Amino acid sequence: MTTFGQLVFSGLLIGCIYALMSMGLTLIFGVLRIVNFAHGEFLMIAMYGAWAVTAFLGLNPYVAIVAVVPAMALFGVVVHQVVISPGVDKPHLVLVFATMGLSILMQNVALMFFSADLFDVPPMFDGQSVIIGPFFFKAELLLGFMIAVFCTISLRWTINSTYLGKAIRATVQDSEAAMLMGVPVPRIFMIAFASGSALVGLAACVMMPLFSVFPTVGLNFVLIAFVIVVLGGLGSIEGALLGGMCIGIVQSVSSYYIAPAYGQLFFFVLFLLVMIFRPEGLLGRKGESTVGIN
Amino acid sequence: MRDSLCLSAMAAVIALLSSGPVEAQEPIRIGILEPVTGSASKSGTENWVAMQIARDMINDRGGIPNHGRKIEYVFADVPTPAAAISETERLITNDGVRITAGSGVSPLAIPVSQAAERHGVFHWETAGAAEIITRRGHKYTFQVGPSARRYAEAAVDFTVDVLTKKLGKPLADLRVALLWENRAFGKSVGDNIRRYAATKKIKLIYDEGYDQTLTDMTPIVQKLKDAKPDVLLTISFPNDAILFQRKAKELDFYVAAHVGVSAGYSNPDLINSIGNSVYGIFVSDFAVEVNPKALAPETRKITAEFIKRYQAKMNRSPAGHASMAFAGMWGLFTELLPKAKTLDSDTLRAVALKIDLPEGSLPNGSGIKFTNHDWKPNAKDFGQNLRAAIGVWQWQKDGHNQVYPSALATHEPVLVPLPKWSER
Repeated sequence: MTTFGQLVFSGLLIGCIYALMSMGLTLIFGVLRIVNFAHGEFLMIAMYGAWAVTAFLGLNPYVAIVAVVPAMALFGVVVHQVVISPGVDKPHLVLVFATMGLSILMQNVALMFFSADLFDVPPMFDGQSVIIGPFFFKAELLLGFMIAVFCTISLRWTINSTYLGKAIRATVQDSEAAMLMGVPVPRIFMIAFASGSALVGLAACVMMPLFSVFPTVGLNFVLIAFVIVVLGGLGSIEGALLGGMCIGIVQSVSSYYIAPAYGQLFFFVLFLLVMIFRPEGLLGRKGESTVGIN
Repeated sequence: MRDSLCLSAMAAVIALLSSGPVEAQEPIRIGILEPVTGSASKSGTENWVAMQIARDMINDRGGIPNHGRKIEYVFADVPTPAAAISETERLITNDGVRITAGSGVSPLAIPVSQAAERHGVFHWETAGAAEIITRRGHKYTFQVGPSARRYAEAAVDFTVDVLTKKLGKPLADLRVALLWENRAFGKSVGDNIRRYAATKKIKLIYDEGYDQTLTDMTPIVQKLKDAKPDVLLTISFPNDAILFQRKAKELDFYVAAHVGVSAGYSNPDLINSIGNSVYGIFVSDFAVEVNPKALAPETRKITAEFIKRYQAKMNRSPAGHASMAFAGMWGLFTELLPKAKTLDSDTLRAVALKIDLPEGSLPNGSGIKFTNHDWKPNAKDFGQNLRAAIGVWQWQKDGHNQVYPSALATHEPVLVPLPKWSER
């Protein structure tokens, strides 16, 4: 029972980290309706950013949030203007290939600057665990959990209760009508893309004390992020959190009781079952893929 | 008639003057296929740097002994198996390369050697260790580095010969666990550890494979914690080795002795990532800096020069991959090419099969003796170097120190049993 508890507990915490990493993807999809295939590489450069701030300025990786999040938002603006914006009105495949190309470019630029070496930041409390009863966990994981929940709540509040949120929802529901009502749709797209990138920056700072960064680190996470976004319901913020938790727990428990080599198999089985019986995702509404953020 | 005689004589003189020296000066072109980008680039870069040093050293000595031809590399980056095939074919068909060498890691060595074989090109593999490399009926693939079996046997022999004594437990009571990543190298070594451990009457209390892209090690570490092993044998790649060590510390999983196999545990970055926790971990690997007494006198000088050049280039000592790549290429330059009258694959193959070089002749303690369907355990095997050096080194405070076998060892094993996590 202790083992099972530890597995669920650890799965839940790591799942929230996955969710945090997926929120940027779901936000960008929910508003722009494009799949950013370079999402993993956004995470990778943000992790390098967090590492650089920590290594060169001697700051705590959580303090790096102050620098990395705005830098990633700015990076998002640049990518939006240069790569995304020219392809928004073109056939869907244009942006699929554009973001894929961007992903390969970013991987290789990172390789050029940072080589294939792995970089890490020192763990907090010298890597010692927090022990609650029979359970062990890292403080970094609990912090990640709190930040993921906080992000979900603030994002929901922003979308429901602010003027920007209303403009985003209007754009998603009918961009032409929104434009006629005076909503600056291209700017909303840019803001959404920048916010999605900023969220990746936040996730990177939370992940840096837990994972090493190297040029292809994004590939290890991007598939999980795609599954979480679709599982939770495309464009659903709370769905991403729930999806992340489900994936974390399923991966942890199935890897223990069946085999770690098949850990991904089981979350894909879960994914298929949800797609068969609830194609709109766990928290999505019917027809969500055409509606997006709501 | 007189004119034509004159012309013939002139032509003969010109031909005589031009043929010998020009051929002697024409460099031998070798196609090098290493992954210097992509997920295997760490090993690929180590190999590539060492290979360049081997080329420079032989060229500085006036080229290949006997005929003085210099070495020229034609390099191709092979980050993925698909690139490995297309780049090997490109070097062969476009650049006219007739000898290839590489290829960083087993999953790339397999397609590279396959493509070379398809074109009847001679392939010299320094790093790829999976056993399948020498068991596909190839005629021109030679694996000069140790095969996966040897890594496995070194890890098990070390457990039997050293760890049982250090831990004060008879073999029958020793709880040994095996964890392996499930791609070509990990699986091949894992299979061999299982097989060889059975012959030593070791019962594995845990034996499981995992995917190296796994992002959460909790289930594996928890399973091991429940299994309570005394000795843990693991085959991991750099990122998963780091994740494993961190999770082991997080969940307070203690094991008295940990033997990693090459790859992740031999990666120089490991110490930057897990700090002091690395001290005490054993690594079954290519031999790195071996006891000079195990080397032939001339080889000692070559080794010292290689280490010096490597340190100047990389600001650190060579790890296992670099040492093996250098030793492998040095073997090619000093044992094979000088004796080959022509560079066609059949001649190279015939010369390679005749090499009978005792252990200690090459810089990392290796010798060369290739199998030719005459190896008793497996008659299919062709081109495996039975004298490639292998051993166990340990992460100690003053560096990577060779601790096993005793002939190659420079240091005694320490930190057995390992201290508790709180004391590391």
